[in-house]
Amino acid sequence: MGCSCQRSTSHGFNIVSRRGLIIGTAAVAGAGLLAACGSDDKDSGSTTPATDAAGADTTAAAGTDTTAAPSGDAVTVGINEAAGSVAYDGAKAGLDATGVPYTGNFVDHNSFQDNITSYLQQPDDVFTWFAGYRMRFFAEKGLAGDISSVWDNLPDFTEGFKTAATGNDGKQYLVPTSYYPWAVHYRKSLFEEKGYTVPTNKDELLALAAQMQADGLVPFAYANDGKWPVQGTFDILNMRLNGYQFHVDLLAGKEDWTGDKVKAVFALWTDLLPFHQENPNGRTWQEAATALESKEAGMYYLGTFVSSNSTDQEYLDDLDFFNFPELDPAIGADALDAPIDGFMMAASPKNEDGAKAMLTAIGGLDFITAANAVNPSAVPANSKFDSSVFTPIQKKSAELVGAAKNIAQFLDRDTSPDFVSNVISDAFANFHADPSTIDSILDDIETQKSQYL
Amino acid sequence: MVKRPARRSRWSRAFLYVFLTFMALVWLVPVVSAIYAAFRPYAETQKYGIFSLPKALTLQNFKDAWTQGNMTHTFRNTMFIVIPSIVLILFFSSTMAFAVSRFSWRFNVALLLLFTAGNLLPAQVIFQPLFQMFKATPWPDLLSDTDTGSLLGTKIAVIIVHVAFQTGFCTFVLSNYMKTIPKELGEAALVDGASVSRQFFQIIMPLCRPVLAALATLEFTWLYNDFFWAVVLLNQGDERPITSSIANLGGQFFSNDNLIAAASMIVAMPTLIVYLALQRQFIGGLTLGANKG
Repeated sequence: MGCSCQRSTSHGFNIVSRRGLIIGTAAVAGAGLLAACGSDDKDSGSTTPATDAAGADTTAAAGTDTTAAPSGDAVTVGINEAAGSVAYDGAKAGLDATGVPYTGNFVDHNSFQDNITSYLQQPDDVFTWFAGYRMRFFAEKGLAGDISSVWDNLPDFTEGFKTAATGNDGKQYLVPTSYYPWAVHYRKSLFEEKGYTVPTNKDELLALAAQMQADGLVPFAYANDGKWPVQGTFDILNMRLNGYQFHVDLLAGKEDWTGDKVKAVFALWTDLLPFHQENPNGRTWQEAATALESKEAGMYYLGTFVSSNSTDQEYLDDLDFFNFPELDPAIGADALDAPIDGFMMAASPKNEDGAKAMLTAIGGLDFITAANAVNPSAVPANSKFDSSVFTPIQKKSAELVGAAKNIAQFLDRDTSPDFVSNVISDAFANFHADPSTIDSILDDIETQKSQYL
Repeated sequence: MVKRPARRSRWSRAFLYVFLTFMALVWLVPVVSAIYAAFRPYAETQKYGIFSLPKALTLQNFKDAWTQGNMTHTFRNTMFIVIPSIVLILFFSSTMAFAVSRFSWRFNVALLLLFTAGNLLPAQVIFQPLFQMFKATPWPDLLSDTDTGSLLGTKIAVIIVHVAFQTGFCTFVLSNYMKTIPKELGEAALVDGASVSRQFFQIIMPLCRPVLAALATLEFTWLYNDFFWAVVLLNQGDERPITSSIANLGGQFFSNDNLIAAASMIVAMPTLIVYLALQRQFIGGLTLGANKG
């Protein structure tokens, strides 16, 4: 007993000597808590986080929201961009320009996407999403609202976009806003300096890559951190070798991953790997883009967002891209990945009229003009959009996509999202860690596919 | 004969120091480079690499991280979740521990096992049923700052999950500690006419202060760092805690790593402060209840 008493006295002493600090901390924290109660209950329900978010640059936007809030029937809009990014500013500018009162729910891109199935259990009236299987999947599950009536008032979209917005049941579920293509990026000055020409077929591509290697360059910058970038490379090799329809069927689960056609893609991919930067799994696409910028690498196959990595205007003016060359003359080079972003409506929105009004406005010119003025990184889907304000990259993107016969969305948008995140991402990463194991990797994909598709 | 072991121990000592220094450096590299990157503009590290000599050192990243990550707001959300959770966890677990450790009852061990076993379930496994339960539980909008009509999407749901999950572990630690407090203390109090609740509040709880402080430190760090439940249960970006601020700074394609490094430094600060403030209790608390004494 004596022993025990002693121990507790000594601890008791410690407590006393530190009590001030503990109480102080508790008091500060408590004050924060009180403040939280006070402001949260009043503000957050009715306005966007812009009021709290840092704000000089969003004050104008916050003003609009405050006028919108008292009406009581603001449409809730879920956006997969959080404050602080150009994409957020662009989306906000666009939504403000619609004139429809709304409350924004801004969540960072990655956790919005990872959490989408939970999100759809309690969605906002209108929310951002993507065209392709990912859209049709939710439409089929009854998790997205039919907006065919909205499409009656959207005269500005071409038939191609309407098809991309249509679910398996023939109804529309998406209002497209913008898209961006995947292409081979290069520096014009480097090509001029070394006398390279843009390749248009397999032989020219291989010759160019060999030449670059002889000149001490890495032909292709390459990265796979996050496990999605190489999916683009798979897509384009697959579409060039096997065609667009095979891409669609393969990702819908109708084709065999262990079949000859897929094996041919991986055989070619294995042959091309020596022309790529080594060990892509640990490299972010930004680092790969830096290799292109610093002229260590000659080319980089990526989405046109590659330019967002740099602020150096001289480099950005020098940056150009070309369509991935044809690999099989019988298949040609008229298919490519050009993911379309857009907005969908919840299956049973609280404010359906408002949601439809918002979606109609999002399909209109005011929305996209305002959004594009802030964030011109992707190409507006609206065909009436004034193309004279296009940046050079946008202009070329529009031409490239306009010339393509078939537009794919991107591997992870053209198939079950779970299939990609649980199976494909790891499989492709493992392939890059050890290309010789590809047969067993493909067997695994084929066995697991049936759980998802 | 006397010298040889001394020499050997000097060598092994030298080896130990080399080894420890090396390991310390290995562990410090990521932390130090993150701190270093946090003070440098993105354009500079992008151009010259992370390990280059600095051209400009600036606090701008910290400023931007605070404002762009909306940290004033998210920090409030975190405190709204963490503080009530810790208070409730410590209260529930100390009452439970008191019952199973100070009174002899047939189901003592069974109860203790039940509480501890709850810790062994991974959150990922039970989040779906919990999610549906929260969704099906009506909750007046007046009592939350959302208008979902159910517990799902409210910070209260996150508090409930934290309390339920952490009470088991704390009960385990507290009951082991309380077992070390001599039975005679309770008996003496009983003779003096103290009721059970008086024994709990006036005899046992004051003696448990060190372990409570240790648990509070641990729990603060765990709950503060939680991202999973916040993302799963809170749909509205506005409701999310400070861990989401870091996620907010990463874009769809482009991420400013220096900015994220600065944000991580800011976010790590409060746990460090709590740890330093309660350090002595924390280390003392780790061995509490390790043996019956």
